[in-house]
Amino acid sequence: MDYLAEKYLRPRKIPSSACSGCGLGQVQKAIVKAIDELRLDIEDVIWGTGIGCAGRQTFATWKGDNFAGTHGRVYAIASGLRIALPPDKKLVLTVGDGDAFGIGFLHLLHCARRNVNMTVVVCDNLGYMSTGGQYGWTTPLGVKTDSSPYGGYEYNFMQDGIDVLNLLRDAGATFLARHTSQQGPEIVESTKKALSNDGMSLVHVIYPCVTNFSDRALGTRNPKAMQTWLKERTYRLHDKVPEGQMSFRTGTYWDASNTRQEFSERLFEFTKAIQRRAE
Amino acid sequence: MKRYFDTGNRAITEGAILAGCKVFAGYPITPATEIAENMSRILPKVGGYYIQAEDEMAGMHISIGASLGGLKAMTATSGPGYVLYGDPYGWALGSEIPLVVVNAQRVGPVSGITGAPGQGEFYNSRYPTHGGNLEAIVLAPNSVQEVFELTVEAFYLSERFRMPVTILADQLVTDGWETLEIPETKEEMDKMGLRFKEREICQGPVFYPPTDELDVPPVVLGHNTGGCCSDWTPTEEGYDTEVVESQHKHAYRLIYKVRNHKDVIQRYEALFMDDDPEVVLVAYGAPSRVMLSAAKHARKQGLKVGCIRLISLWPFSDELFKLKSNYLAIELNYDGQLVREVQRCAPSGSRVSFFGKCGELPSVAEIMDCIHKMMAGEPLKANQWEWEVW
Repeated sequence: MDYLAEKYLRPRKIPSSACSGCGLGQVQKAIVKAIDELRLDIEDVIWGTGIGCAGRQTFATWKGDNFAGTHGRVYAIASGLRIALPPDKKLVLTVGDGDAFGIGFLHLLHCARRNVNMTVVVCDNLGYMSTGGQYGWTTPLGVKTDSSPYGGYEYNFMQDGIDVLNLLRDAGATFLARHTSQQGPEIVESTKKALSNDGMSLVHVIYPCVTNFSDRALGTRNPKAMQTWLKERTYRLHDKVPEGQMSFRTGTYWDASNTRQEFSERLFEFTKAIQRRAE
Repeated sequence: MKRYFDTGNRAITEGAILAGCKVFAGYPITPATEIAENMSRILPKVGGYYIQAEDEMAGMHISIGASLGGLKAMTATSGPGYVLYGDPYGWALGSEIPLVVVNAQRVGPVSGITGAPGQGEFYNSRYPTHGGNLEAIVLAPNSVQEVFELTVEAFYLSERFRMPVTILADQLVTDGWETLEIPETKEEMDKMGLRFKEREICQGPVFYPPTDELDVPPVVLGHNTGGCCSDWTPTEEGYDTEVVESQHKHAYRLIYKVRNHKDVIQRYEALFMDDDPEVVLVAYGAPSRVMLSAAKHARKQGLKVGCIRLISLWPFSDELFKLKSNYLAIELNYDGQLVREVQRCAPSGSRVSFFGKCGELPSVAEIMDCIHKMMAGEPLKANQWEWEVW
């Protein structure tokens, strides 16, 4: 077994229940590596998960404390938990694209506004894959899924000048990055920065779903085909993207780490001030 | 003892603070807004935290999160928010996290009338979430003083049973002004019958024992117990599972920890029930105040009328309705909800009738009119909105 897995993950959950060819394991490994490189211990991290492939496969894998929220509301649970936890505990949330950018987007935006100290890693397989493969909010335009059999017609959160990370930045998030699961070392670096930010951090990682996405969109379950498709569309943040090319723009989007006061810290200070006044 | 003249909203706040509530997250809604407002004023002074949430679902999830971290928490709403609580209520129930939930019922369905009392969530409070396999604990106050005492009790029960406990009030109880007595010494608290329980932390590795026992501490995160808390069917250690046997154990615990300990929860008030009354009135919440007056008035006229007021709405004992009699359920709705339970419990040969009103209380005269008709065996259907046989 991998030394990271042995150190931090529960043997009962290894190997993971993910499909063969799934990229989620690479993403989780990068997160755990970041935790290790920051010399954090099991009791320093509390691991939360959402619903969907990303949530279900990573729930209760962490050797320490774990929780899984209702679909899209794990950000709200984490906000409450943040108030109760000692400030030095890290909150890591592994969630899916539907959980974060669909059903839970309101709560995610409000976590950004409040600047709640948590590291959200959105493990994005480009749609609703655990339910068999329906289009989501980052599914590329025109792509076929089980619920877009003629190709998707709706605009999404990652194309045509719209970027979900810009919305989160405007809402107040203090660290934002995007990568693909092929960029392991960069996910590690971004996750380390995210964990070191006393505020709301989000790392958006695109990973391949071979079983459903690739099958309908590319007509093959060959993992190599999906990996190539992903690689061909991966660009750096400031790269010039050929016109009309669907692209995943990767890099650090926004780093305002430790510049805005964190939610619980602000709340504790505020409460102490009121108590002093009341005395 | 401190004495105030204040609202039920204030009483709920005071009860929560006395019980050790440290977090309130909620969303403004008439007629429960003042509970949030009072909490925002009082909580910081006692080192607690008020959070205004982006919606009711977030409000209850944030409260649950705080409780999951070991702080006692409460949230409050009215009907339109209560349906949104379904999602987090299920989470707290399934993962067995203590929480106190207040519903100040108004007139429905949907937004209905905001500033008037209703009783539309009798069954909703029994099944606030989907999926069944649950028993709910619901307490129904009928006065400012009682809502204070039941708020303290709700915190106590939520810790012992490790689950959300609902206070099903109505707009008259929460907005109404009455005398409120708040005990200051332990002696005064004991005299009032108040019970308290501090939060304990389950150390694992078994977090979800397959038994009906009380006082098993809940999972609290942040203490490195290896606690796993989720909305999935848990194994005894908290792992998510699709094994049917685990689901059976889970459901058994959720159902029988309540069913087998009804005696800890059950509360009711029975008046003039010792001489086999010919007519038995049944109600809960604000209309029960009118019902009690009507029963006393009827007795003065020499009529054999008794009454039963449910305080613990869920669970209650079917035995309360074991007398063969003429029952009249009085409710603040037109569709009849409590009456269905009375009909289910009453022995055969009983006659069960319903008097419904909504947005305002019935009068003693109206109930007396019903009693006279029932006793005379007159046709019961005087007005389809008010009065019908079940």
